[in-house]
Amino acid sequence: MNIIEIQNLNKTYKSFELCDISFNVEKGKITGFIGRNGAGKTTTIKSMLNLIHINSGEIFYFGKNLKENETEIKKNIGYSTGYINWYPRKKIKDIVSVVGKFYDTWDEEAYKKYLKLFGLDEEKTAIELSEGMKVKCNLLIALSHKAKVLILDEPTSGLDPFSRDELLEIFKGLKNDGVAVFFSTHIISDIEKCADNIVYIRNGKIIASVTKADFYNTYSKENENLEETILRMERGALDG
Amino acid sequence: MGNILRKEFKLTASVLSYLFIIFGLMFFLPGYPILCGVFFTTLGIFKSFQNARETNDILFSALLPIAKRDVVKGKYLFVCFIELCSLIIMGFATVMRMTLLSNSYTYKTNSLMNANFFALGLALLIFGLFNLIFVGGFFKTAYKFGKPFFSYIIVCFIIIFIGESLHHFEAFNFLNAFGTDYFYIQLLLLITGIVLYVFITFVSYKKSCKRFENIDL
Repeated sequence: MNIIEIQNLNKTYKSFELCDISFNVEKGKITGFIGRNGAGKTTTIKSMLNLIHINSGEIFYFGKNLKENETEIKKNIGYSTGYINWYPRKKIKDIVSVVGKFYDTWDEEAYKKYLKLFGLDEEKTAIELSEGMKVKCNLLIALSHKAKVLILDEPTSGLDPFSRDELLEIFKGLKNDGVAVFFSTHIISDIEKCADNIVYIRNGKIIASVTKADFYNTYSKENENLEETILRMERGALDG
Repeated sequence: MGNILRKEFKLTASVLSYLFIIFGLMFFLPGYPILCGVFFTTLGIFKSFQNARETNDILFSALLPIAKRDVVKGKYLFVCFIELCSLIIMGFATVMRMTLLSNSYTYKTNSLMNANFFALGLALLIFGLFNLIFVGGFFKTAYKFGKPFFSYIIVCFIIIFIGESLHHFEAFNFLNAFGTDYFYIQLLLLITGIVLYVFITFVSYKKSCKRFENIDL
């Protein structure tokens, strides 16, 4: 079952464009969104959150059009990014006490559970958290309001290998709970470790949107891992 | 609506926004351009917008399950709350100067603007223009606030200058009324200020909603 459906999304800037982007995100699956820096990952994610205005195309969540049902849909989305700090000087508990009020589905028990599971101290301010903890903090909020889909923009960038591994394990656990996880990254090994599906973007165009197994079957040469395959594809694109 | 205002108070507001409400007491000062108190109150509000930008508040708010116009509404409600708190203090000082202190020698010999309903009306006009020029200007980008604030400063001090100058012309002596002199004209000027404040703020809010809806975050 598709939780997110992106259909023929186009967004034009002066020096860059997203061209005819289409892909789906399935329930209970981890979808890795991969592409080099500047490929259009963040622009696509911002379009998916209605933070920027697309020139054309349709975005559906749970079968409902995002533009027409934005408020309702956002109640079911959790978002995190590795490069933005929200209210760095505020304590987690203060941020949570405000955010929780916006969600009818806010579950205080779930909040306490994930707080403990992620090893977070709610007395800490965002600035006192490590990069990995910041992502966990965003996940904590998303999971406490029972988000059905997590959209994560480069959540593992800037993390050490141990924290990355820990986070990927959390994604797997969430997947088993039926949550759809969509995360962008340029760290190919992260996708290899935990993604079920791969959406590969290059220069604002979707090159592939398939299961990981199909990606190997279609694009990989013998004994080639995902990283080697994508690097070869990127080099091939550069060589023309 | 309550939730978004709560967010403003708990996460975005600068302490200076609250502290600078006290500048409303400048309406008690003799020998000082009392409308500067309005400017200092708006300077406090400006600090909250600075906070909002530094803490990525606008993007955070846009991700909440609310309509984009509610993000704008939250900011306007907060701004109006601070302005009205300051106005209450200014109003208190004005009423004191119009009644108990109306025969005070210090105030009688004050060559600068007297605290009366006209002064309150002008304070409301300046607050309205702050909402139009600064807050409305901020929502053109939801990021840049230097130019809108600079434009507001110029307009604000032009109005203060005009307010301080007019009563020195004989034809406008009534603007500097003491006690209950020219009471009905003064009341009319205050009502005009209220109407202008409400109208300008409403127009600015509507414009900001449209602007915010159209920008890419």
